[in-house]
Amino acid sequence: MAGIVLQSSDWLFVASNADFLLLGTIVTVLLTITSLSLGFLAGFPMGAIEVYGPDSLRSVVGTVGVVFRGTPIVVLVVVLYFGLPIPQLGTVPALDIQVTPFLAATLALGLRSGAYQSQVFRGAIQSISEGQMEGARSIGMSKLQAIRHVIFPQAIRRSIPGFQNEFTIVLKDTSVAFAIGLAELLTRAENLYLQPGRGTAVMEVILTITAIYFVLTVATNRTLDRLHDRYAIPGGNE
Amino acid sequence: MSLLRLEDVEKSYGTEEVLHGVGFEMDTRDVDVIVGPSGSGKSTLLRCVNRLTEIDGGSIFLDDEDVHAMDENDLRRRVGMVFQDFNLFAHRTAVGNVTLGLTEVLDLPSGEAHDRAMEYLDRVGLAEQADSYPAELSGGQKQRVGIARSLAMDPELILFDEPTSALDPELIGEVLGVMNDLADEGMTMLCVTHEMGFARSAATTLTFLDDGRIVERGPPEQLFDDPEHDRTREFLGDLTEIH
Amino acid sequence: MSADQTQPAAVGDLPGRRRVAVVTVGVVFWTWLSLRWAYHNTVLDAVATALGVPDLIRSETAVLAREPWLPTAPFANAAETLTAVGADLGPLGLVAEWLAWPFELTAFAIEGGPAMAAGAFITVYLTLASMVLGLAIAVPLSVARVYGGWLVRHISLAYTELVRGTPLLAQLFLLYYGLPLAEEIEGLGFVGEGAVPRAAVFVAIVGFTINSSAYQAEYIRGALQSVDSGQLVAARSIGLSKAAGIRHVVLPQGLRYAIPGWTNEFVYLIKYSSLAAFITVPELFRQARIIASDSFRVTDTYVVVAVLYLALVLTTALAMDRLESAVAVPGLGPADER
Repeated sequence: MAGIVLQSSDWLFVASNADFLLLGTIVTVLLTITSLSLGFLAGFPMGAIEVYGPDSLRSVVGTVGVVFRGTPIVVLVVVLYFGLPIPQLGTVPALDIQVTPFLAATLALGLRSGAYQSQVFRGAIQSISEGQMEGARSIGMSKLQAIRHVIFPQAIRRSIPGFQNEFTIVLKDTSVAFAIGLAELLTRAENLYLQPGRGTAVMEVILTITAIYFVLTVATNRTLDRLHDRYAIPGGNE
Repeated sequence: MSLLRLEDVEKSYGTEEVLHGVGFEMDTRDVDVIVGPSGSGKSTLLRCVNRLTEIDGGSIFLDDEDVHAMDENDLRRRVGMVFQDFNLFAHRTAVGNVTLGLTEVLDLPSGEAHDRAMEYLDRVGLAEQADSYPAELSGGQKQRVGIARSLAMDPELILFDEPTSALDPELIGEVLGVMNDLADEGMTMLCVTHEMGFARSAATTLTFLDDGRIVERGPPEQLFDDPEHDRTREFLGDLTEIH
Repeated sequence: MSADQTQPAAVGDLPGRRRVAVVTVGVVFWTWLSLRWAYHNTVLDAVATALGVPDLIRSETAVLAREPWLPTAPFANAAETLTAVGADLGPLGLVAEWLAWPFELTAFAIEGGPAMAAGAFITVYLTLASMVLGLAIAVPLSVARVYGGWLVRHISLAYTELVRGTPLLAQLFLLYYGLPLAEEIEGLGFVGEGAVPRAAVFVAIVGFTINSSAYQAEYIRGALQSVDSGQLVAARSIGLSKAAGIRHVVLPQGLRYAIPGWTNEFVYLIKYSSLAAFITVPELFRQARIIASDSFRVTDTYVVVAVLYLALVLTTALAMDRLESAVAVPGLGPADER
């Protein structure tokens, strides 16, 4: 059971590479933000189309959604990385990452998240009673005005718990960018323990990055909880 | 010239015919109350007037203008509606419910919209609850906000679709009070309601609708005290006993 | 983490006609898979021989080493012809090339078929084993969370939050590279010999079981809490102990409510079992990686494997739908509301 012993020298090794792991953490957080943003930009209209769109468009969006939700994220990452003609765009020196895998990972994680966010948003829209639309139409608002001023503001609020889920999922799945060598947290962890003579530090390194992921998910979830309470409609929904 | 004229209005849902040729006229400042058993088509009839429901036959004229030739949003700006379930915008305060139509439909600047909204909330006795959200209001208060929201658009006619049916008995009075005031002030109102007291005291004309047809229509005293049809007597008699 | 609302439907609803298509493709797909997986099955071999195709199954041979059933030549030729035609068409040639691609892809998929089938076999049993073992842990975990005392409740909470708050890939790395788990398993002696898979497979099952147990526990917890609390009171009132009440009254209802969540989890595991590739388990995705690096046709490989995963996921979702309506209590519960 030699390998399981946690050695102080290995912890020192982790500590001495704190900067290296910090960069990885920044890449992970950045990738989470870009992917979630892309997911929102894609998912929001997709969800709206699935409720209000014409039949043909709805079935296209529905099918695309099924494909993205039904394929493993690692497969999406490699298909988009190798399949799309993304030009080689060089590196970001400050973060020590290549732009191309970062873009591919953003696309894969973002579009997949969009496919899920569209479901969150669609469900939220559908949970709003028809009376809200009728109330708006009865004072002379157009359907578009009603959607924009009455349905969407309520649907967005109801989507927050679902978006919160998405955040955790995307944050954890950024680790899958390991498959295309993007220097995020997990890839950097491997870089560390693969250094000659550092094989004993595997446990320490992975425990460290796992703890980082955990702190990130818990901290963000707490923040989003607060946000949810802050913007909740007083007295709850009708 | 009448403000609202219905001619031979027909409506079906699928194979089920709800309205079989309903026609009547009402003038400005009239308070027209429609009564009838549930499923008689009363609510459908109201919803046809502001085209929340489209009719299948006949025609409806507002100020001699065929409502089907009108832009539906223009129509609804001129014909307000108060719902049984209030349909207040859950994410906006009482005053926010009233201002939304003013800023978005009437394009009033927000300051002016706010002032006007407050004026109407005051009129229904809710100035103090202006900043409360719908979920924080009682049913009666919600309905009064609903009335203010409709009134603020300065409509030519307001449709009331069973405005007190979703309320606890002790809250009905405050809503009827507001409706009575409106009637006294000369607001044109087309109401579907089970409140016979209101029908007797405020209505200029009472209509008994049964099975999608007008059975009898006339001054309320006539229908209550000396109806032409047995069916009217039966229905109103039953209701009066209950209330 | 209060974000434990039920997730949206696993993959989403398929409209009617497409549902029929998926069912048809699904039947063909699973027939292919199960025939491919036949191993040391003399009955199937005899049937194939009787039908005049003695080499069809070849169940004595390892799945990986078997031959494709369909010839690749017709598809490859069709693709070549289209490309050749395209070369003469000038700018329209691009269209011909696009049309040629599905044929190329089909020929390629036929070639890789046996290897992919072998990989899919591991994917499927990884998923099934982890689902079942995960459920066995999840039930006590969720009961502890809902009905346990302070300490038990918080241990259960800590476990689920830790597992759900960290990436699965990191968990697998921890188990495989961090802990000497693989060596221990290999030390057992019989591992990796004959039909017994290699140690990495067992490590993967351990990892997925732990991961899945936490997610399943969340689904079951939600379902248990949605059972009317009067049910347990009624059970106690007829003299059942708390444990017996939970066992006979609450769980049978709660587990039914948990089926939609279970479908999600099933689909989730099929998809995320692909991560086992990174701890050397030769499941579907790893087979694809091997094919990709041998053939240099990276994109084609991953497109084919994406289609196979979709087939697994969609057929599972449909089957779970069926299960849900089959075990639904008439007139009761979320199954009717959906």
